[in-house]
Amino acid sequence: MITGEQKPLEEIKGFLTNGRKVLVVGCGTCVTVCFAGGEKEAQILAASLRMSTKLGGDPKEVSDVTVQRQCEWEYLDVIEKEVQEADIIVSLACGIGVQAMAKHFPEKWVVPGLNTNFLGLPEEQGIWTEQCQACGDCILALTGGICPIARCAKQLLNGPCGGSENGLCEVKRVKKDGGIPVMETDARGRQRPVMEDVECAWHLIHERLSSLGKLDLLMEVQPPKDWSSSRDGGPRRIVREDLLLLDEG
Amino acid sequence: MSENHVFEPGILALCCHHCAYVAADLTGAMRLTYPPNLRIVRIPCSGKLDVIQTLGALERGLDGVMVAG
Repeated sequence: MITGEQKPLEEIKGFLTNGRKVLVVGCGTCVTVCFAGGEKEAQILAASLRMSTKLGGDPKEVSDVTVQRQCEWEYLDVIEKEVQEADIIVSLACGIGVQAMAKHFPEKWVVPGLNTNFLGLPEEQGIWTEQCQACGDCILALTGGICPIARCAKQLLNGPCGGSENGLCEVKRVKKDGGIPVMETDARGRQRPVMEDVECAWHLIHERLSSLGKLDLLMEVQPPKDWSSSRDGGPRRIVREDLLLLDEG
Repeated sequence: MSENHVFEPGILALCCHHCAYVAADLTGAMRLTYPPNLRIVRIPCSGKLDVIQTLGALERGLDGVMVAG
């Protein structure tokens, strides 16, 4: 799924200076299941904005509505009336939904309420991890279902680098809680972010292929990856001629 | 604010039908009194309570919400 985290309230409030009527639009798909922009979050944000702007002396009329998916025109048609009545739309969808809203309602000012993060897996309750980078040329058949493109810091194709130690990558990750870095005080009394370990994807691949008796897959040397299917070719597009609606005329 | 200008927060008490509300009911049965700035609302189960309802209470001008269950 696409994962996201809500922006700080102050940042969202900063988007609302040029309007009085605000519509918070939730999305009922990916960002609902990662608890960032669904119906409940849209209602909470709307209530928070009403109270916060009132306390700030510039009260806004904030309402909310949630659609099944903000990235499909059909679902946006049903909120046409609510959108037309608002001055500013706060979209709680991923970046795709925000852009779909802006395109579908070209005369409306649409702002994002979320930061879209990555294509991830709900590893356990409250923890999402990045699994796929949408490179457009899947190699999971070679790597036992573990992606070195998304999960190796160097995106290596032929085994781990020298920085792999005891199954961990030498590159650490800033520990975050709700999108905010967790800080600690070092020996000199300075604040610094807490770093956490990251598993070495190639260690995981080796372990898995070993347990399945498929280590021979790693003997084949992989050539440099063709990145033209990824972002290197600019914004990508899929065209399926068989699905296009033909012009009856 | 009370008559002598002492801040008395308006509190909403959301009480579970099966336990806390029974205690509140007993208060009445025993002819005990509780402060008028406390409003008791019975809810089917405190587990059903959502943060949206508590925000609604604050938005309507109450100062605090107590969940009892």
